[in-house]
Amino acid sequence: MENLLPLFLIFLKVNLLSTSGPASVGLLYHEMVGSYVTESQFVQAVGFSSVLPGSDALQLAMYIGYAVGGIPGGLVALLASILPPTVIILGVTVILHRLRREAWISSFIEGLTPAIAMLMLFTAWKIFQKGGTDGWEAWAIGLVSMAGMLSKKVPERIVIIIAGVIGVLFLS
Amino acid sequence: MNRTKLMVWWSLLWMFLKVNLLSPSGPASIGLLYKEAVTRQLMTEAQFVEAVGFSNVLPGSEALKLAMFVGFAAGGMPGVFTALLGAILPPTVMMLIVSAILQRFQQSNWIDGFVAGMSPAVAALIVVVAWELFRATSSKTIDRRAVLIAALSAGAFWLELPSPLVLLGAGLLGVLLYGQRSYG
Repeated sequence: MENLLPLFLIFLKVNLLSTSGPASVGLLYHEMVGSYVTESQFVQAVGFSSVLPGSDALQLAMYIGYAVGGIPGGLVALLASILPPTVIILGVTVILHRLRREAWISSFIEGLTPAIAMLMLFTAWKIFQKGGTDGWEAWAIGLVSMAGMLSKKVPERIVIIIAGVIGVLFLS
Repeated sequence: MNRTKLMVWWSLLWMFLKVNLLSPSGPASIGLLYKEAVTRQLMTEAQFVEAVGFSNVLPGSEALKLAMFVGFAAGGMPGVFTALLGAILPPTVMMLIVSAILQRFQQSNWIDGFVAGMSPAVAALIVVVAWELFRATSSKTIDRRAVLIAALSAGAFWLELPSPLVLLGAGLLGVLLYGQRSYG
């Protein structure tokens, strides 16, 4: 229970610093793994939130919130993820035409994005290394998955489910 | 409270529920939302493009922001909250069920195998999304400023500086480097 306030603050911070669901993965990893959830729980969270329909940012938040503090944890994470965009949108719709001329906002985001991409690469590497196995099997799964996703022919969630099933069959 | 207004809200709620049940992620929902919002004339095409632009720029989950913009155009403030509700309900219900089930199996062997197989694929997914994000910044050509920021932040993460600080720094550097370029 005493985890709920830090959980709320972490999700507020993550949602203020990232502009989309996938981009929040890197930051969330740094804030949560080790101190609140395990590596394995985080991978499950990312995996399942991209598999299930609906906003993956919210699902990621709720899964991690749930792992930390049960249903109250899930709801706290949800609330903290919803609050920043809601308040901002309510503000923006009022001052929309003024904001349109504020070029520094788009410059800020333009600078933020390469850094977020880098953070995600670091996160991807850590998840890969600690995924339980980093032998040739993991490289094979990773490279084939990436090829599948880049080809745009196979939906990402199908790739992730297949990879998980291969894990159950050959890695457990 | 007149009947027609209630009907508008109800159809909005239904629309957002549908879009969020059918699309696995924020970016994927843009296409569906476009079809619903523009063909049903809740918004003009220009308004929709503007909403997508703002959703990408402002902090927070972009799917939520886009839904709220569409909601606002269709029904003002109540429209915003209807959109929010429609976007939140499906993932909440599903995720709480899945989390509850999975936490129970946390100790089983097959979960370990599933995670071991999923990890490389999840890592691959993150790399792919990172690459798409990076490319999306500066139109088609990757410009030197983006590469500079990427290199500096990679160095900072390597040194294990706190990531929120690095991100803020990168944003400020963006303001310095890109300056007062107007927002398209």
